[in-house]
Amino acid sequence: MTGWAAQGVALGAGSLLLTAVLLVWRAGTRNAALLLGVQGASLALLVLTLGVHHHDAELVGVALLVLAVKAALVPWAVGTTASHVGTPPPARLSPAVALVATTLLTTLGFWVSRPVVSASGPGAGAVPVGFALVLIGFMVMLTRRDALAQLVGFVVVDNGIATVAFLAAGGVPLVVELGVSVDVVLVVLILRVLVRRIEHVFGSTDLALLEELSDR
Amino acid sequence: MVTRDALASTLVTLVQMAAVVALTPLLIGMMRATRARLEGRAGGRLTQPSRDLLKLLRREPLQADGTSLVSRAGPVALMATSLMLAALLPLVATRTSARVPDDLFVVVSVLLLGSVSLALVGLDSGSAFGGMGSSRHMTIAALLEPTVLLAVYALSIPAGSSVLSDIVATRAESPGTVISPVSLLALAALVMVILAETGRLPVDNPSTHLELTMVHEAMVLESSGRDLGWLELGSWMRLTVLLGLLGNVTTPWGIAGSAAPLTVALGLIALVAKVLGLGVAIAAVEVFLAKVRLFRVPELLAASFVLAFLAVSASYLVTGVAT
Amino acid sequence: MSPLVWAAVTAAAGGSVVSWLAPAPRRSLAAGIVAVLQATAGVALGVAVLGGARVDMALAPRGTALAALGRLTVQPTALGALFLVVMSAVALVAAVFAIGYVRGPSDSRTAWTSWFVFVAGLQLVAVAGDAVSFLLGWELMALGSTALVFTEHAARTAVRSAGLWYAAMTHLSFLLVLSGMAVLAGHAGSVDLDAIAAARPGGHTATLAWLLLATGFLTKAGAVPLHVWLPRAHPEAPSHVSAVMSGAMVKAGVYGLLLVSLRLLPAGPRWWAVALLVVGLVSAAYGILQASVTSDLKRLLAYSTTENVGLMITTIGLADLYRAADRDDLAQVALVATGLLVVSHAAFKTLLFLVAGSVLHATGERDLDRLGGLGPRMPVTSVTFAVGALAAAALPVTSGFVAEWVLLQALVRGGAPSDPVLAALLPAAMGVVALTAGLALLTFAKAFGIGCLARPRSDGATAAHEGSRWMGGALVAAAAVVVGLGIAPGPLSRSLASALAPGAASASPLGGVSLPGLGIGLDPLGLTLLALGCAAPVLGAAAWWARRAPRRRVELGWGCGGARVSPRMQYTATSYAEPLVRVFGQALDPRRELEVEHYDESRHLIHGIRYRHEVGDPVESGLYARGLRGVAALGERARSLQNGSIQRYLGYSFGALLVVLLVVSAW
Repeated sequence: MTGWAAQGVALGAGSLLLTAVLLVWRAGTRNAALLLGVQGASLALLVLTLGVHHHDAELVGVALLVLAVKAALVPWAVGTTASHVGTPPPARLSPAVALVATTLLTTLGFWVSRPVVSASGPGAGAVPVGFALVLIGFMVMLTRRDALAQLVGFVVVDNGIATVAFLAAGGVPLVVELGVSVDVVLVVLILRVLVRRIEHVFGSTDLALLEELSDR
Repeated sequence: MVTRDALASTLVTLVQMAAVVALTPLLIGMMRATRARLEGRAGGRLTQPSRDLLKLLRREPLQADGTSLVSRAGPVALMATSLMLAALLPLVATRTSARVPDDLFVVVSVLLLGSVSLALVGLDSGSAFGGMGSSRHMTIAALLEPTVLLAVYALSIPAGSSVLSDIVATRAESPGTVISPVSLLALAALVMVILAETGRLPVDNPSTHLELTMVHEAMVLESSGRDLGWLELGSWMRLTVLLGLLGNVTTPWGIAGSAAPLTVALGLIALVAKVLGLGVAIAAVEVFLAKVRLFRVPELLAASFVLAFLAVSASYLVTGVAT
Repeated sequence: MSPLVWAAVTAAAGGSVVSWLAPAPRRSLAAGIVAVLQATAGVALGVAVLGGARVDMALAPRGTALAALGRLTVQPTALGALFLVVMSAVALVAAVFAIGYVRGPSDSRTAWTSWFVFVAGLQLVAVAGDAVSFLLGWELMALGSTALVFTEHAARTAVRSAGLWYAAMTHLSFLLVLSGMAVLAGHAGSVDLDAIAAARPGGHTATLAWLLLATGFLTKAGAVPLHVWLPRAHPEAPSHVSAVMSGAMVKAGVYGLLLVSLRLLPAGPRWWAVALLVVGLVSAAYGILQASVTSDLKRLLAYSTTENVGLMITTIGLADLYRAADRDDLAQVALVATGLLVVSHAAFKTLLFLVAGSVLHATGERDLDRLGGLGPRMPVTSVTFAVGALAAAALPVTSGFVAEWVLLQALVRGGAPSDPVLAALLPAAMGVVALTAGLALLTFAKAFGIGCLARPRSDGATAAHEGSRWMGGALVAAAAVVVGLGIAPGPLSRSLASALAPGAASASPLGGVSLPGLGIGLDPLGLTLLALGCAAPVLGAAAWWARRAPRRRVELGWGCGGARVSPRMQYTATSYAEPLVRVFGQALDPRRELEVEHYDESRHLIHGIRYRHEVGDPVESGLYARGLRGVAALGERARSLQNGSIQRYLGYSFGALLVVLLVVSAW
């Protein structure tokens, strides 16, 4: 892989990770939409670099699709939701602890991705970032109590899966990516409606309130 | 020839120390002026900080009964450690002293020695405010330590050495390392460290005199006259040298690689430009920042720690696999 | 060199006799001088062995009762000699201090006899050439120190509980080490350490032996979660005993770990090294975190011991890891770091415990919240306290800084390791070590700043005065060692390297330490000169301005008007650590109670406010309390086995007899 391509992949991967860390800190606020946008753009950059490097027009098309969906559409959906809900309830884990836990999860991500990395093609060095993103996304969903953060966590997990797919498999056909993107957009839109409904019914996005719905 | 080299390096060291002492009041003046302009005030003159310093240094210090030698020795110790930093760090030229290498851990320990002097001065005053400032100052310093070491360590991996001169020299030779993701993560963490270590926003407000929020000001509350002058100059010099280091790490060009007079002069000009540029940038950003609550500072420090940690593990794991 | 061994033995026996015969007023001097001789013999023997002398002799004369135990070989290796010198030197300084310090129960016949037994045990552990004499020394050390911990049991009830904890844990350690040694000796068919090392057990035998020995030694070293005896026993023992326990006795645990990892079971699987590294890092971080929020000076020092031992264990684990990854150069640097940490900690922790003793002697207080203002009242103690605190915070120019520097070099010079285990562990280790260093800085700034500066917070502190010359002399000597090793660590590093890792370190021309394998060095003397060079112009300028505007003394500070109220308005150690308690609340389990009493007449008038703030030890309350409750429940249930009927007890005996007979015949 040539110098600029390696730089592009590294820059994209680094910025994915960085935005994930900042999302751990700031999930559930309006900044989250902005960060998700940057994360989506980083993913698109990653795909674009691979596409140009392999002279693969389809992959470039995928990059544009990713840019449209993950850097614009999804963040817009999250952003408009965030502007309608109030201040989020406090997280289960204090932000400082959650941040330190992120380091452990990242190390774990690097650790478990070793077999994938050694077996796959160009840009594989950044695959661990995808795994780390999945783990971090799950942690956000586990430790946050507000519905909006669940949405953010879900998008981070999806970005992580996409990163691994692009890097380890050396690209995804346009049709497949189109299908996946539609899925994601649908899920985000549904969750968005759900968050607004929860806010409307309970006056807060605190998921702990949902426990009252059980029949016990 | 050995003696000549030693003489040259001593001269460069002296140039660095003199440059830092002279540059510091100007830097503070520039930062205050920038802030004033952006807030729509006229602000003081650029030379105002140096006038204040000279005024303080000429005045008699007061010492309360019950305070010990530490109140007298602390300010001098802080000033001496700041001068040591100016002598050790690669500011105007790399490798300023062959006998005492500017090893990362030595530099950090000198920095901490200064922090401790300041904290003890705060405690020795015997007032509630001094102790409060000292306690907060040391808590922040303790939580910063992992970030400092990991951030600079991440930058040192390409150079394979913990000597700061080597790091700067390696970065100057291969510009690709300067904008690599690892480097960017580490630099972001380093900026956070410098802001916290020198008591800038959003960790501490350098211009506050509200008792309950201050950190640095609380420690120097009981000092007066000459003592206060040393404390202020010493603390400001820490900002200058750290900004100089940051400047040389982000843009490692212009710094002198040898002791030839022309390159040293060039290095001096580059240093002044970098420090003042960074200072003005920080002052401009500070206008838009509010001080965070003290108990949210750990979040900030944890975030910078994560950045530094990711920088190190990414450079270990990604580069280790990709190559 | 065997005369030196006999000198030490004779001093131990003679000292016990002297302490029984000498009358009370002269006892401390007479016994103290013999104790000094005993320790000196140990230092001399160790130095001779490090210089190349060979010792191989049997302590048990043939035909005596002792011979039943075996030969009891004295056969010090370079490693053992190193620890012999360290332990004996600590005992030497502490004995000098004791001459001026002991009074009442700590000057009793029992206390002095226990001292001689204790020190003899320490020395025997270091020089033992076979497992039996090693264990004999281990047990003497345990017995002597237990008796010493109980010294002041009549005066304070806390001593009894501390002594019980200590006795239980120290014997747990003995049992584990005994079993581990038995496994190894059984495999080798000999108790000689040389023979055991040559036998090289593998598989499950090695794992079992390693687990037993490592747990035993970690208990003695005070690593988390086996540290619980340390913060109880160290504060309650007399200070000169705490100094030897912390400066020398926990090093026996470190010596044991080195013995296992370098000599007895050198080529173990990698998870041993990872386990040691993790235990070390956890101990270091947890120990210093607890120390930073404690306000009892001696308890603080005890927790800081856990921290330092944790760092030593980290370096041992690191050395094993590097060796497994074929980085012998780095492994050796890590071992040099172990040695430097051991020596440096022995020096400054002895000093600090003796300082605590001196403060206790002068003020009757060891609670930092009730100290303060000792600087002008106790100049020698305060200055030596400052030196010790600098070393404990690993700042230049002290021995602590040099040790920490070598440790960090061993960590960062790994470069980008191709080995994934190292790549994952090294950044984490670096982060933890750095956090430890940062918290140590806060801890000792607090201890010194609150203890010695500002105004006294109690009557005891107001009336403080220096103790006897013996005490002052011991403090100054220990401080001189700390600073001396900090300025010229070269010769020490060289001899450490020759004992632990040949060629890994040497002395630079200025007396600094240089690590040829890594191509770097540290010259603290150069740094000191630079510091003086930087301080000179500042001092000169200050003196120049001082001629025109001299310093003026005023009666009271300003303090925004608050200084006039009372010294109790000052920050205390507890309030100093309060931000930290908040930050680490999830790891410290702090408990706060607030009681407000009102006047009977009105709820709006407050009569008094009582505030209690306590930081517990979550390991103790979580792990041990639960275990102890389980044991107690088991005991309750076992009670139903006995109802006082003789027939029933006879029945038990009969049943046991039957079982034994059946087992024997079936075998």
